[in-house]
Amino acid sequence: MGLMFQRFRSVPPMPSRPSNAVEIRDFGIRYDLRLTTRTTLKGSLVDVLSRNSGQENHFWAVRHINLDLAYGESLAIIGPNGAGKSTLLLALAGILAPSEGDIVTHGQVSTLLTLGAGFEQELTGRDNIDLAGAFLNIPQKLMDELTPSIIEFADIGAFIDAPVRTYSSGMRARLGFSIATAVTPDILLLDEVLGTGDQTFREKSQHRIRELVEKAKAIVLVTHDLTYVTEFCNRAVLMERGTLISQGDPGEVVQLYLDRTADRKLLNEADAKRFTAEPPSSR
Amino acid sequence: MTSVPTEASASSRPRSARYRPLNAIVTGLGEIAGRRRLTRYLVGANLKRTHADTLFGQLWWVLDPLLQMAVYIVLVTIIFARKTPDYPLFVFAAVLPWKWFTTGLADATQSITTRQQLIRQIQFPKIILPTSAIVAETVSFAFGMIALAIVYLFFRDRITGWLLLMPVVAGAQFLFTMALAIFLSAANAFFRDTQNIERHALRLWFYLSPGLYSLAQIEPSHKIIQDLLRLNPFAVLFEAYRAIIWGSEVSINGTITDLPPGPPDFTALAALSVVSVGLILVSIAIFKKAEPSFARIL
Repeated sequence: MGLMFQRFRSVPPMPSRPSNAVEIRDFGIRYDLRLTTRTTLKGSLVDVLSRNSGQENHFWAVRHINLDLAYGESLAIIGPNGAGKSTLLLALAGILAPSEGDIVTHGQVSTLLTLGAGFEQELTGRDNIDLAGAFLNIPQKLMDELTPSIIEFADIGAFIDAPVRTYSSGMRARLGFSIATAVTPDILLLDEVLGTGDQTFREKSQHRIRELVEKAKAIVLVTHDLTYVTEFCNRAVLMERGTLISQGDPGEVVQLYLDRTADRKLLNEADAKRFTAEPPSSR
Repeated sequence: MTSVPTEASASSRPRSARYRPLNAIVTGLGEIAGRRRLTRYLVGANLKRTHADTLFGQLWWVLDPLLQMAVYIVLVTIIFARKTPDYPLFVFAAVLPWKWFTTGLADATQSITTRQQLIRQIQFPKIILPTSAIVAETVSFAFGMIALAIVYLFFRDRITGWLLLMPVVAGAQFLFTMALAIFLSAANAFFRDTQNIERHALRLWFYLSPGLYSLAQIEPSHKIIQDLLRLNPFAVLFEAYRAIIWGSEVSINGTITDLPPGPPDFTALAALSVVSVGLILVSIAIFKKAEPSFARIL
C-alpha cells in the first residue's frame, strides 16, 4: 500500500494516513454547458461570435467536497435528485476527472453498474464476458477462471452461446450483473441497489451484493432507499446542490434528510398556495 | 479474494496536474501497446457486426469492391469514353484501398460517440476505440485481396512479383489513416458535425486523387495542378498501388503510354510514412488532452 500511495501522491502534500481508502480534498466537478450533448459547430460559432462565454456557461455539479473514507467503513450518500451523488460516485470510479481538488483512492475501485449497456449485440454472451473482461483489464487467466461461475450465476442456459441481440432485457441484465459482480474490489461503489430480473434472481442478486459488501474493504453506496442506509452503512453523508450538508451516524443523517425534505415540501406547498391564492393583481 | 490491476492510478491523478504533451504521447502509446487483448476483442466484434444482418453476410467484403468497380467502369469507359487499357484492374487498384480508408475513418470517427454509455460506466483507455476500428477495417482490406484475385483472373498477364510489395504500400496508408482516425474520433465527440463534414470531404478527396485517372493523364499545360496533386497523400498511395497492381502511365510529349507493373515511388512512400508517424504522435497528444472530457460531454 505504501508503494501505491507514492504513486498516487498528488501535488499538494497530504497527511499520510494509509488507513484511509479514499481521500477527497476540496473536490469539484464542473460541467461546461457549451460542450454538453449534441454540440454542433454552428452552436459553438454562434457562441463565439456573440461572445457568449461568461461564467454562466459553467455548472458545478459538485464542489468543495472534503471527505475521508477509512478502511472498514461503509458510507451512504443520500440526498435529493440532482444533488451530485452520482457525479461524486463517477469521480470515485475514475470515470469523471476532478475539475478542481483531488480524489485519492488506495486500492482497486469497482463500480457495480449495469454492464448490459456495453454489450456487443452480434457477439455471444460468452464472447461478451471476454470483452467485458478486456475492458475492465482483468487478466485473461483470471477471466478464464471466473467465466464458469459468471455463466452459472447468470443462469441463462443455452443462450450463453447465442448473440446478445437475441436476449430478453431480463437475460441481458442478469448477464451484466453477473459480470459486474464477478470480481470483488477493495472499494465497492454502488449506485442504487440493483434489483434485476424476476423474484428468484432478485433474491440471488441481493444475496450476491451482501456477499460483496461483506468482502469489500470499503463501500460507498448511493441510494434513495433509506432502509439500506441504516442496514448496510455505518456512516452517512447528506448532499444537496453539490455540497455536503451533514455527515455522521446513518440514523441521524437519514432523520435530518427526512426533516429537510418535509420542510421543503411544506415550503413548496406554501409557495403553491400563495401562488394560487393571490389573484393576478389589478390591471 | 481476487484483486485486479486497475487504471484507478491514472484516473485519480488530480486534473490540476499540468498536461504534458510528451507524457500524454507516451501514455497513449503505452495504452495501445498494453491493451492488445481489448483491441483483439473489439476487432472481432467489429468484423462480426459488419454485414451480419445481410443475406450474403461476409460475402459483401468481396462483392462491395467489385460492384463499386463496375460503377466506375460504366462511368469512365462508357460515359466518358476513356480508353485506358485493362481499365477494370486500373480502377480496382484505387477502389480497394479507398474503401479501406473511408469505411475505417467513418467507423473510427464515430467510435467514441456510439459508446457513450460504456464511457460513462467503465474507466478504460478510450484511444483503443478508434485504433481498433482501423485495425478491423484493415482485416477486411486483407479479405479484399480475394476480390483482387478474382479481377486478376481476367488480366493474368498483369500479375507480377511487384504485388509482394502490397504490405509496404498498405503500411504507409495504415499509418496515415491511423493519424486521422485518432484525431477525428476526439473531434467528433465535441462536434458531431465532424462525421457529416467528413463524408462530403472524403468524396471530394477521392475525385481530387488520381484514382479514376492517373497523374499522367492531366494535360501537360496544367503542370501546377499535377504538382499540387502530388502533395495529396492519396496521389502517392494510388500511384503506388497502381504501379504494383496494374502498371504506370507516363506522358511523353503529350502521348500517354503505359508501362507494365514496376516498383512504387519508395521515396514518396517513405516521406508519407514519416509525416504520418509525426501526425500520429500529434493526434495522440490531442486525444489524450480531450479524453478526460469525454465522460462529461457525451
